[in-house]
Amino acid sequence: MKISLNWIWDYVAIDAPVEEVTRAITFLGFEVEHVSVTGAPKLDKVVVGEVLTRDKHPNADKLSVCTVDIGPAGGVKTIVCGAQNYKVGDRVPVALPGAVLPGDFTIKQSKIRGQLSDGMMCSARELGMGDDHGGLLILEGRPELGMAINEVLPPGDTVFDVEITPNRPDCLSHLGLARELSAWFRRGLSYPPERFLGDVSGAPTSTLFSGVQVDHAEDCPLYSAHVVAGVKVGPSPGWMQERLRAVGLRPINNIVDVGNYVMLEYGQPLHAFDAKKIAGGRLVVRRAFEGEKIRTLDQKERTLSSKSLVIADQEKALVIAGVMGGENSGVDETTTTVVLECAIFKASSIRWTSRSLGLSSDSSYRYERGVDPHTALEAARRAVDLIIETAGGTAVGPVAVAGGDVPWKREITVTSTYVEERLGFPVPASEMRAALEALELRIERENPAQGGGTEWVVEIPSWRDDLDRPIDLVEEILRIYGTERIPAARVLAVGTSAEDDPVVVFNRRAVSYLVGHDFHECVNLTLRPGAELTTWVSQTAAAELALANPFVEDQSHLRPTLVMGLLDTLLLNQSRGEPASRLCEAGRIFVENNGHNYEGAAVAFVIAEDPTRHWLRRQPADFYTAKHHLTAIASAAGVDLSSEAAEPVVGPGFGWHEGHSVSISAKDQSWIARFGLVNLAMLRSRGIEGSVIAGVFSIRPERLDPDKARRRFRDFSLFPAALRDLALVVDESARAGDVEAAVASAAREAAGALFAVESVSLFDVYRGKGLAEGKKSLAFSLVFRSASRTLTDDEVNGVLLSIQDRIEKAGTYQLRK
Amino acid sequence: MEMQEQLSSLLSKASAELQQIRTRPELESLKARYVGPNGEFTALMKQMGSVPKELRPAMGKLINESKAKLQSLLDASLRSVEEVELTARLGPAIDPTLPSPDAGPGTFHPLTLVREEVCKILRKVGFVVADGPEVETEFYCFDALNTPPEHPARDPQDTFYFPPGARFGNVSRHTPGEKYLLRTHTSSVQVRTMLKGQPPIRIVSPGRVYRRDTSDASHSANFHQVECLYVDKNVTVRDLKALLDYLFEALMGPGTKTRFRPHYFGYTEPSFEVDLSAKHLPKVNKEWIEIGGCGIVDPEVFKSVGYDPEVWSGYAFGMGIERLAMTLYGIDDIRVFYQNDLRLLRQFTGSI
Repeated sequence: MKISLNWIWDYVAIDAPVEEVTRAITFLGFEVEHVSVTGAPKLDKVVVGEVLTRDKHPNADKLSVCTVDIGPAGGVKTIVCGAQNYKVGDRVPVALPGAVLPGDFTIKQSKIRGQLSDGMMCSARELGMGDDHGGLLILEGRPELGMAINEVLPPGDTVFDVEITPNRPDCLSHLGLARELSAWFRRGLSYPPERFLGDVSGAPTSTLFSGVQVDHAEDCPLYSAHVVAGVKVGPSPGWMQERLRAVGLRPINNIVDVGNYVMLEYGQPLHAFDAKKIAGGRLVVRRAFEGEKIRTLDQKERTLSSKSLVIADQEKALVIAGVMGGENSGVDETTTTVVLECAIFKASSIRWTSRSLGLSSDSSYRYERGVDPHTALEAARRAVDLIIETAGGTAVGPVAVAGGDVPWKREITVTSTYVEERLGFPVPASEMRAALEALELRIERENPAQGGGTEWVVEIPSWRDDLDRPIDLVEEILRIYGTERIPAARVLAVGTSAEDDPVVVFNRRAVSYLVGHDFHECVNLTLRPGAELTTWVSQTAAAELALANPFVEDQSHLRPTLVMGLLDTLLLNQSRGEPASRLCEAGRIFVENNGHNYEGAAVAFVIAEDPTRHWLRRQPADFYTAKHHLTAIASAAGVDLSSEAAEPVVGPGFGWHEGHSVSISAKDQSWIARFGLVNLAMLRSRGIEGSVIAGVFSIRPERLDPDKARRRFRDFSLFPAALRDLALVVDESARAGDVEAAVASAAREAAGALFAVESVSLFDVYRGKGLAEGKKSLAFSLVFRSASRTLTDDEVNGVLLSIQDRIEKAGTYQLRK
Repeated sequence: MEMQEQLSSLLSKASAELQQIRTRPELESLKARYVGPNGEFTALMKQMGSVPKELRPAMGKLINESKAKLQSLLDASLRSVEEVELTARLGPAIDPTLPSPDAGPGTFHPLTLVREEVCKILRKVGFVVADGPEVETEFYCFDALNTPPEHPARDPQDTFYFPPGARFGNVSRHTPGEKYLLRTHTSSVQVRTMLKGQPPIRIVSPGRVYRRDTSDASHSANFHQVECLYVDKNVTVRDLKALLDYLFEALMGPGTKTRFRPHYFGYTEPSFEVDLSAKHLPKVNKEWIEIGGCGIVDPEVFKSVGYDPEVWSGYAFGMGIERLAMTLYGIDDIRVFYQNDLRLLRQFTGSI
């Protein structure tokens, strides 16, 4: 809201400079977004002059030597000037020797490059009127020569653009902010004079207006109407126009301007009707009919719903209550009798109407935040006074008032001890009391508190509905005491044995691992375009991830994988000519399972073909690179990937390349790992060159176990191991893991209790010469060891023969000989 | 004595020949010529049989000494051959100025660096890092934080909601049927943490939050916050100020100052906006910049999680991680964080 300093001065005599006032507003708790200076400050010895001649300065290219006539103020003067925007005959402000311009700049008679100069012709900025330094301020309308410049220029004002917090609707007014400043500067607050020229006792009753009927008192707890007859509509007085303009309002006519003026003064929205336009002479506050239409003052037709409140006559809606008036009932030049509405509407009702119509006004803004019903009629009386003062006329009957008879009474009891306990530093009780009183929070009683300190019973005025509890008064005291006076202190910390959340620990471990393996960590948005999701999840799953109210189309769904964002990053860098290859990300993904979405803590990586040429070749990443990294990531979450079977990712719809990617998940789906080659056709369609290897691991946060049992050391044998190799010929379709399991099982059976089969591990896969078509050979290294002795060749060979025997008998795989 | 001379001349001949040996085949053929079945040394040894009996011990000793000498010459030659082979395998000496063909180093995202640094600083004064879901319900995001149903922040114009039928299997609802939404602040983690345990509580909750807003240089559909919450007996405004002074001094160096401006938040009373002295920061031409919001936990919040506000008091503080990172690093467009241009990421290699 815009606040004029001149206006504030009506209520509180602050003599502090603008910077101090700005600081005060700021530390009272209202952000000052902008301070602008309008008009000219008080300037002595600055007068109107006319340029008679203009000649080039003999010693300076960019300067001119002018003769300037300042009339009765001193005749013709010679002035050196650097500006370029004026011509002979222009009238301009002339600062004479002795003038003090803003910024403490004193004008003296001086020699400029050898030429005497008897003063200075001024720009708007030099006069303290804004930032325009484009040249001299050319005065319009040929003002009289020698006239003091303040008589020509609009008077100066300072306007603060202040953000009022939602808890302080009382400060959406000059009076409200003046009250705050009066507390800060400890200067008395004077209210606007109340003369109430609207007293209708003994006055006649209007023939045009008979009264008000409120159909929905719950949405309109107070409605009052005052009638002023015999008004003459015309421009409002200059001082009122000036103030309205200063805070950004356009003056319309004296009646409308008074309504706006009093709203800006008291914070109470008002509305004026032309009485003759109220059909039937009676106002009705009712709900709109479904689909009812009204053309509002901004010349737009609005269609209303039955949830909105309107002010209507017997035929039609005249006003969207609390939001905006209709074209059909406003005050114009023909108006002679005015009906002035002063009402209280329920905040939520106005908010709903304003939002649903996309129509906001100074009035709706105030109603939404709350207007004090207990001082509303003061504002109405003030407005009637001002209408009669500015537009003439007299108040006539009836004064219609519906509702508003709920009395206000609120007291809060607070002790000085409580305040100090909350603040954590001492403040003298007298200072606390003074702070409250400065804010017009009247101390009703003061007593010694039980257990020391002072207890106050504080009366809360009706406009401070935000104050309800002792803690609220702590804030008031601190605001006025000054938050900048909070003393410094040291942090008193106790040790804690608590651990960081397991999700945080997992992310840290996994990302550190990946960064340690040369990945760049990325951050991508959670919301993705819906169309893209079906590349990764089923139609039904994608539908479950949709937002009800997306803001833009391409951010409509939760992401089911991190890979999409990483591919975006690859593409962005590729298009900018940055060779990106190894990227990773940690973040939440959302996975559908049996009709429910599950939020998962995920970590993913991509490895694109390195587009950079290198003098030394390295092996490109492949499926097994992804397996290596993903196994490490899963292990950071305490998950052993080998514990569950890997299923190939099938179907073209899942972002992965069939036959070159797998999915492994917990039986209860509490974690999922997918990795391998990204679908090549999909990459092409996105414009990504080459192949991309990727992996993503996601785990439900609740599945991460913070209380991992401590590991126990297992003793190991110091006797030498015996190594044997075993090669099997198997079908091309056989999986190495299955074959290895068969070999391990045969080995354990063969060794029995004799000694341990320490490991069975595959070390070679062979296809081609010497093998039948459709066959491959898998070679395993077997390690045997005893805990108690050195094994002999004979016993190990015996076991090996027994293993071969078992495999041959089983018949699934052949021994390679 | 003829034999003695023969041995001696054979040794010097072998020694001379071995000098010329460079490769393993050469060495093998030389060995064959001397100590192979038909070798010259082998032939000499065979002559032992014809040596008179009384001379045999002396002669035997002589032969053994010569044999050992020859063997050591051969061993030395083998070592030098092996060395030549190894050198050949290693190739020419490396050029240390050639670039490594391996990618790297990896980099943490600047937002991660800032988040971890803040957490680390707060960890030192007893705060533990907490986490919670990004999909939330109205209770945890609003109701419990004293944000009434008609509050503008809850409007679908500003907050992302899910359709009434949406079901999230691992985001618990407080009241049946309440709407799911994307959290607008990480304060929901505070509520969940308070409901899970009892004071004293000292947590820092970093995380991603969502606002339904136009994306521009200073707004993004999702961004990150870090908040801290302290609940204990007798927690005061002064304690809160002390924490923030500590945090920003640790983050931005000694002499960094904070100031509180009174403000309004539904979940704290009194509430403040926090400004930071900014003179030494890159690209800032102001004396103070706003960095976050804080306050004393409102009694209503304690009531909604079942804590007695007569017994417990607390403070809360929150700030945007992007905003902090932009301030620290002198970045002036929030969108660069989400583009992940490697030219941004590489600037933060191994640094804070």
